[in-house]
Amino acid sequence: MIRIDHVSKSYDGGATCAVRDLTLEIKSGEIFGLLGPNGAGKSTLLNMLAGVLAPTSGEIELDGVDIAADPLAAKRNLCYVSDSPDHLLRLKGHEFLRFIADVYEVPDAARGPRIAELAREYGMEGELDNQIQSYSHGMRQKMMIMGALLPDPAIWILDEPMTGLDPKASWLLKQSMRRHADAGKTVLFSTHVLDVAEKVVDRVGVIAHGELLFVGTVDEMREHFKSNGSLEEMFLELTSENSPFAEEAK
Amino acid sequence: MARSAAQGFSWRQLRVMLRVIMRGEQHLDSTGMGLGDDDAPRKGFWGGLGSGVRKVAMGFLFLLLAAVFFMMGYLMGEVGVTPYVAFSLCVVCLVGLTVLTGLYQAVNILYFVRDLGYYLTLPVSATTVMWAKLVHFLGMSLLGDLIILPVGLGCLLAVGAAPGTWVAMTLAFLLSAVAVNLALVIICVPLMRFSRLAHDKDRFSRVFGALIVVFALAVGVGSQFALQGDGLASLASGSEQLLSGGVPAVVMGVLCPPSLLARTVVEGDVLVVVGGLLGMLACVAVYAVVLSAVARRWYFEGVQALQGAGGKRGRRVEGTELAQATRTRGAFAANLSRDWKTLVRVPVFFNQFVLSSLLMPLYFVVIMVASGFVGFSQASEAGIEPMDLLEMARSLTALLTFDSPALAWCAVGVLVFGLFLGFSAYSFTMGVSRDGEDFFFMRGLPMDWGAYLASKFVVPFALSTVPMLVLIVAALVVLGVPAAAGLYLVGIYLGATVALGLLSLGLGALFPRLTWDNEAQLVKGGGATLMVFAGLLVGAAVMALPALALLAGALWEVLAVPVALGLALAVFVAECAALVWWVLGPCARSLSRRER
Repeated sequence: MIRIDHVSKSYDGGATCAVRDLTLEIKSGEIFGLLGPNGAGKSTLLNMLAGVLAPTSGEIELDGVDIAADPLAAKRNLCYVSDSPDHLLRLKGHEFLRFIADVYEVPDAARGPRIAELAREYGMEGELDNQIQSYSHGMRQKMMIMGALLPDPAIWILDEPMTGLDPKASWLLKQSMRRHADAGKTVLFSTHVLDVAEKVVDRVGVIAHGELLFVGTVDEMREHFKSNGSLEEMFLELTSENSPFAEEAK
Repeated sequence: MARSAAQGFSWRQLRVMLRVIMRGEQHLDSTGMGLGDDDAPRKGFWGGLGSGVRKVAMGFLFLLLAAVFFMMGYLMGEVGVTPYVAFSLCVVCLVGLTVLTGLYQAVNILYFVRDLGYYLTLPVSATTVMWAKLVHFLGMSLLGDLIILPVGLGCLLAVGAAPGTWVAMTLAFLLSAVAVNLALVIICVPLMRFSRLAHDKDRFSRVFGALIVVFALAVGVGSQFALQGDGLASLASGSEQLLSGGVPAVVMGVLCPPSLLARTVVEGDVLVVVGGLLGMLACVAVYAVVLSAVARRWYFEGVQALQGAGGKRGRRVEGTELAQATRTRGAFAANLSRDWKTLVRVPVFFNQFVLSSLLMPLYFVVIMVASGFVGFSQASEAGIEPMDLLEMARSLTALLTFDSPALAWCAVGVLVFGLFLGFSAYSFTMGVSRDGEDFFFMRGLPMDWGAYLASKFVVPFALSTVPMLVLIVAALVVLGVPAAAGLYLVGIYLGATVALGLLSLGLGALFPRLTWDNEAQLVKGGGATLMVFAGLLVGAAVMALPALALLAGALWEVLAVPVALGLALAVFVAECAALVWWVLGPCARSLSRRER
């Protein structure tokens, strides 16, 4: 479970507010999709959940552990895939996965079969002995996702995880997310691809200007808008400059 | 038609490209003055320091070196060296330094830039792009080269030369500098077009960087011997001989044609000087035309050959081999392995932190062996048997006991040597900064920051301190230093180097530089130069108290020698303990909270 309690993040001494007094609870067993236009504050929020950024105010709990009070314990409960897959490029694929497994203390007996299984699923078996810098963007993204799935923690946080993935890998990831949630664990991901969100998520949150404008199921969203249109149409209406939500946010 | 238009040179496009390259492209700063840095505000210590302060600091360093060179030139003039001979030394140094670093820098600036792939898509000619990049490179390169000119100017002051000669020498030097840089690029363009080695950036950087490091150390060793005897005067006269005829003059003439006209410019009358300068200008113009032709033919072809180069494929790893390759390690070992692999696989880091550290002991061995050889030869000529000389040295070192001031002086000598190693403290300081953006990836992991910092200490310690330790122990054994005294000196050496490394590592962790685009930006340029000199200050800080304790026993005699020796060692132990706590505590905590 993820609990976000009145979290704000500002820069330049408060002049720039990236996330404003955001409160949200994401339950175990749930896939939560975070939608929002560019610069809405999605990545800032996910970075705070992953412990990369510290909130200016408010509290974040991951499975009951306050990330500010005990960051190590909180991080052991989560895996995070950031919006850029260009990390540790000089390591070979298996060296990267070993590093991740060591940091998360994945037992010896589990890591070998799990790495082999992930490599097979994502079609990376022949690439593990190559340096990540030689991978294409999509292969790097796959490697980051494999690194995140390897420790199999209770919470997955993924920032634009489908970017650059081929259709098979994208489908695999969606299946993995579903399985993870069905096992009583939590998945939070951000996306621009509304079609993906519509098909995968249990609930969505729409964020713009650092504020959460809407939280609910896609059906609730339809009900709210009295619309039979696509999620895309509702999203555009919600985040447009003329939206009453956006006005409130300002 | 469009194709032929795109091949032509356009002044308008040159201005546009130059503006884009100066403002938007990341590049090396060969002057070391931070002139190549962007103006965007930056966070953290480096941002806080401000580009203005950095420029002032680097300007001060530049002027200090220039003043030292000016004094050297003045002294040469005082002992009868002519301005032409001093200028020859300037030109030979200029060509040597440019050959040493210029080709590598030119390749980096002209080819190993991310934005080049994008430039290929624009309707801009190869000649225009190449000249835009080259003008920018030359601007910074010439500023760096100017550091050598004061040797000649100092000599002019000593001989009371007319102001016109100062102007002529300055212009001649600038034209020589432009010519040698153009010559290098003329070599570099076909090299990058046809050389397989150059198409693998990593391999090229590793090979070329290694050559530079080895050559630099060779020059260091050579200069130790060249400066014996008549010193600078003989060095200057050797430079003059290089320009006066034979194969060296031909090589110099090809690399830097204006150098062949140097005598007319420095020693001739007004008309001859003007003629000489015009001749130099003509040489530069010819090289510019040749370069334009070469660039039009091969520059973009070389750039295209680089796009998509590399990508070496590895074996398929699976089954037992995969299980073996991914077996469990602790946090420290995992971080150590990751850091070591990155260090070895990034050519700039390998050359700067691994190769130069490993070659440094070799440098000392060569100096020690050569000095010993010279010493033994001189002893033989004086009728003394070499073994007798060694026995004499051993009889002196046998007197090194714990109540002898000689041991305290030896310990002070070890500290001075340790202070010299402050130059390599920069390997510790850069430990965290080397991770760059990867650091923020690791911030999202449940990382043990104490283990992370411990791993950052071990690598430079093993590379820089341990080989020197082996050398010191070997020297102590050969010289027959008593075991207890030898152990004490080793303890002092370890205390000094461990404290220096820990303090440097901690400072690097508190003020890391994590936002860089390519590795060369981190290890070259103004900030890096400042860090190298800051290492000396850090060394002085950790060695001050033990040195005072030793001097209190050996020089001022306010403490008994055994007490002074014990106190110095105790201070180092206390310093190391406090620094370990500081690095693993506050410094590690600061990393766990660091944001972009």
